[in-house]
Amino acid sequence: MKTTTQYLVLLLMSSILFSCSKTSPDPEPNHLLLKFHHTFLDQTIVLGDADSETATEHTSHAGQVHRFSEVKYVISSIRLVKSDGSTMPYHINDLDVGAFVIDLSRPETWEIYLQDIPGGTYQQILFGLGIPADFNVLNQEQFPKFYAKASAHDTRMMWEWGTGYRFLKIEGFYGPDNLPLSIHTGSTVEGTEDEPDTYTPGVDAYRDIALSFPIGAEVAGSTPQVIIRADFDHLLSGDAFKIYLSEENATPNIHTAVNMKQFVDNVGGNGTTNKQGMFSIEQVIN
Amino acid sequence: MLRSWPTKTAYVLGGLAVLWGLTMACNKDPLRDHNQVENPFIELEIPPDFPPLNASIHTNWPTRYGVELGERLFHEKRLSGNNTISCASCHQPAQAFADNEMQAIGILGRKGLRNTLPIQNLAFMQQYTWDGHKRQLESHVLVPIIAHEEMNSSILEVIDKLRKTPDYPDLFRHAFGDTSITGERIYRSIAQYQYTLISANSKYDRVKRGENEAFTESEERGYHVFQVKCADCHSTELFTDQSFRNIGFPINTHSLEAGRARVTGDLDDWMSFRVPSLRNAEFTAPYGSFGQFPTLRALLDYLDEGVLDAPNLDPILKNNGNRIALSNQEKEDIIAFIYTLSDTSFIRMHTY
Repeated sequence: MKTTTQYLVLLLMSSILFSCSKTSPDPEPNHLLLKFHHTFLDQTIVLGDADSETATEHTSHAGQVHRFSEVKYVISSIRLVKSDGSTMPYHINDLDVGAFVIDLSRPETWEIYLQDIPGGTYQQILFGLGIPADFNVLNQEQFPKFYAKASAHDTRMMWEWGTGYRFLKIEGFYGPDNLPLSIHTGSTVEGTEDEPDTYTPGVDAYRDIALSFPIGAEVAGSTPQVIIRADFDHLLSGDAFKIYLSEENATPNIHTAVNMKQFVDNVGGNGTTNKQGMFSIEQVIN
Repeated sequence: MLRSWPTKTAYVLGGLAVLWGLTMACNKDPLRDHNQVENPFIELEIPPDFPPLNASIHTNWPTRYGVELGERLFHEKRLSGNNTISCASCHQPAQAFADNEMQAIGILGRKGLRNTLPIQNLAFMQQYTWDGHKRQLESHVLVPIIAHEEMNSSILEVIDKLRKTPDYPDLFRHAFGDTSITGERIYRSIAQYQYTLISANSKYDRVKRGENEAFTESEERGYHVFQVKCADCHSTELFTDQSFRNIGFPINTHSLEAGRARVTGDLDDWMSFRVPSLRNAEFTAPYGSFGQFPTLRALLDYLDEGVLDAPNLDPILKNNGNRIALSNQEKEDIIAFIYTLSDTSFIRMHTY
């Protein structure tokens, strides 16, 4: 009995010692810079109002000319995958640090510094277009900074009636008469089918994106840049749907949630066979 | 009784009490007041034959001070951005917790999308609001607080104002054990108050209970016509089956209105709305999801004359030539019957 106790004490002490004297074999923590490049095919998007002469004009698969006056979307749940397959989650449980509103009218939002990440060679990035269901509840007390960013008057990335965030908000014009284009996405589903008492059937607009790097991003000493292209040609002419704009779907209307899924699948992929949507890696600069 | 306890048990219990005291001392919460008040659960009188309770109540059963706080918050205009709108501004107790506007009027006179629903007997509902996007009262409270056209505030703004308002820290302490004011406590206390709003003392209820009251001839006829022509949807003791149906009412052309399809993204739910309860309908005119009908008579006339067709029009209407045929006499009788669902004692109890 006494011997067992002694062993236990020894074990306890050694574990305390080890936890105190942790000498991490990891290299110095470093940073990685994500840069989002917003294009229509190969052309960099310029926003503008109906009478703008500088706004870029885009033509859809269906031949419809359109342009954007406002484009915003939310990125969260960023994970970097090392060449050995290990995954480094980046504050995936903290929207204040790990979620971002990207706004095409504000260049400072196009760049995201991922800070203090472990050194190594990274081969892939995973991120969410939108906010995962567990956090999509507008909890201002939990994440006041992200709530403030999303609710700011000029942002309005929020769906009050559904107490959820907007994931994508596009305003613009289409056709020769500059008819209004207004596409908003966000999740309306609540709960799970397994628990029918609390389940609200609805659209799940969150999409997990997975992009592999053409070359490894070397995080060690310097800060590599990963340039991600978001090609908004996919919005109307994606892999999932070729969308023809009309009064039925160009603005929030009677078919809002039905059409929303088409836009979501186009820009965010269908979540299974297509996990890229409109995103691709343009370049990795070490 | 105490004397007859075996000494050993008393010792054990005493020891446990000391241990408990020590544990409490270790976990001492600086906010916890030593004058902690007793806050008993409230016994709800569940009317016989009512549908089952929403399961959420079992994790938030009303307490004496929880309800007191919830009622206070229900009437609290500080919940709105400019301190002008409370829950009771639209859910007026004197109107059976609805109002008489076509569409709700919120902060700065902003018009909402839909008609204010009365909020009695919510403890027995499984689907809330016109489109059922919330299944628990607790999770719905935030919606009007942040909605642009309702209260246009935020929960941190509300918490901050309540902290600075005398009474509230104490009210929260009584309800939840300490003075901390949180969103969750606000949601839970308002829901607790709503759970207590049970209306089941109308003439209909008294007739049914055999309390020496009887329907008039017209009410009696109305009751029977109602069973044939209305009770497929307006069923149960709540007079709603809580289903979502498109019954071809005039359409709200607002771009955000799609009925339940706004939630589900399913075209079969286009312009479908939850069947409303008819209890206290006498006090809640106008009627329809955006107040299309000024009176019950206008609504019945419309159903009689024929409704708008739609691919997802409810089969009950579709199989009857898109209408519910009613004679003048039947309409008068149905309305007389609906008026027997008026519960004036419920309204008096909650009106100041």
